[in-house]
Amino acid sequence: MTIQEIENTLTKGIASIALKDESSLTSDIPFHELGIDSMGFVEILVFVEKTFKLQLIETDLAKKDFETIHALASFISKQL
Amino acid sequence: MIMYVTVPSSKNKRYLSGFDWVMGVIDHILKKTTCSGNASQIIFELDSPLESVSVQNSLNRFLKLFPIVQGRVSRDVNLAPYWRLPRKNFVNGLDLAVQHLGNSSLQTSISSLMEEWVNRPFRDENHHLVFHLIYTRSRKTYFGMTFDHRLFDARGAESFIYLFQRYLNDDDNTHIAEGISLTASADLTQWKDKFEAGQHLNRKIIALSKTSLKSIPVILKHSKTKKGFRFRLICFDMNDTERIFANAFEEAGYLMVMPYFLAIATQALHALFEKKGLPANSYIVPVPVDKRSSGDIKKDLFFNYASMFLFQIHVHTVHDRKTLIMDIKKQMYEQVQSSFPEILLKASALLRIAPVSFLKHIFRIPFEGKFASFSFSHIGRCSYQSSEFMGAKINNFFHMPRVPVPPGIGIFFNSYNGMLNIVISWLDGLVGDDDISAIECNLKKLLCRK
Repeated sequence: MTIQEIENTLTKGIASIALKDESSLTSDIPFHELGIDSMGFVEILVFVEKTFKLQLIETDLAKKDFETIHALASFISKQL
Repeated sequence: MIMYVTVPSSKNKRYLSGFDWVMGVIDHILKKTTCSGNASQIIFELDSPLESVSVQNSLNRFLKLFPIVQGRVSRDVNLAPYWRLPRKNFVNGLDLAVQHLGNSSLQTSISSLMEEWVNRPFRDENHHLVFHLIYTRSRKTYFGMTFDHRLFDARGAESFIYLFQRYLNDDDNTHIAEGISLTASADLTQWKDKFEAGQHLNRKIIALSKTSLKSIPVILKHSKTKKGFRFRLICFDMNDTERIFANAFEEAGYLMVMPYFLAIATQALHALFEKKGLPANSYIVPVPVDKRSSGDIKKDLFFNYASMFLFQIHVHTVHDRKTLIMDIKKQMYEQVQSSFPEILLKASALLRIAPVSFLKHIFRIPFEGKFASFSFSHIGRCSYQSSEFMGAKINNFFHMPRVPVPPGIGIFFNSYNGMLNIVISWLDGLVGDDDISAIECNLKKLLCRK
């Protein structure tokens, strides 16, 4: 999968978790500006694990990997 | 032979969800054990006075658009409970209590008035809202709304007041009620899913109840009058709040504010439980989560759209905050992964068949009747999105809920305009004022470290 394809998949999932329109999400907007709270954040973790068949808990995940959709897509791309 | 099955119509009815029914059970328990039901209130601290006649008239006009606020719980022929609208719109009129504070200490007087409001029972089963206006000797004014939790959850109540503000600002405000969900299906399908969810929930509760639970004993039998709730409000300014959130991100991780606040609340209360010498191995804390299906909170304004996480905190982890936060995060992750809040919602739909007076006893079976160690909530997103109310600037905005009994004590976090507020709510007599002062001191010490 390309980073763009991962970003598209993430945008769909995150829009549904954050209860936002997909069109209102850009890949460089920080998650906290989307109104995502701790539960939403964990929902994103679980969504990524199920969709991309990754065990994020077992990876060396850092805060910078989770701040935007683009950063998360880049991280996932490296893991796949 | 063709069999016709009558499908209950929800065209004109708002059937109650399982969680609405749970709120009804808590209301019943509170009415039986304390002086009032499951009420809460939101309070605005305003920088200038409002004209009471104008508030009264505006609220009157606004509330006439919402006869639903004077509905009552009823049961349909299909046995599903629903919210029945009154035959005449707005039969009882508006309740706006106007009070003037005298010379006594402002903080003490405001607190005692707020306690008085929330402890006053609603007039009857169709009465769910009371508004308050307090004038002080300075320009500072307080506006409050006491509400029945069967009508709104906390975010719904915030949205309702915000809708009122929008109604006042909008020249063409006759359509303000459009888009709000006023009906809901009876949800009398997918029984297999609901029974499986019930089974899952039972297993979870049995697993949690294997260790003994710390809870402050509630003694109600020997008191002559039913007791009310007390409040302690702790406000932080913008600088302190910024530091608190920076600490939360640093210690618990990006966006992990709720687990951080739960860890802090547990640590702050732990000293009280230890002082009282309560023998037990763990704390059980239900934490409400918003389960609205739409980003437009106006749509899901009335009734309850929450579910819960259930956290079990082992006493041996409490002193080590790193371990405590890790444990809470792990439990949250596991519950999201297993869809526990959704399972709880499905399972709760089964409860609607039983009357609240019966469920009161069922709720006391697990955990030897202790229910939970304490209540906790963190409202991460404020739904009131304006810096003013009726032309007055809002200095601060907070929630003051009554708490299910047991446990009879809770710690609640909310933020407004970059300022964190904490409210400790407790059943009068459950703990002393000095105990609450100790909890306040602990909370400040734990949150405001440099």
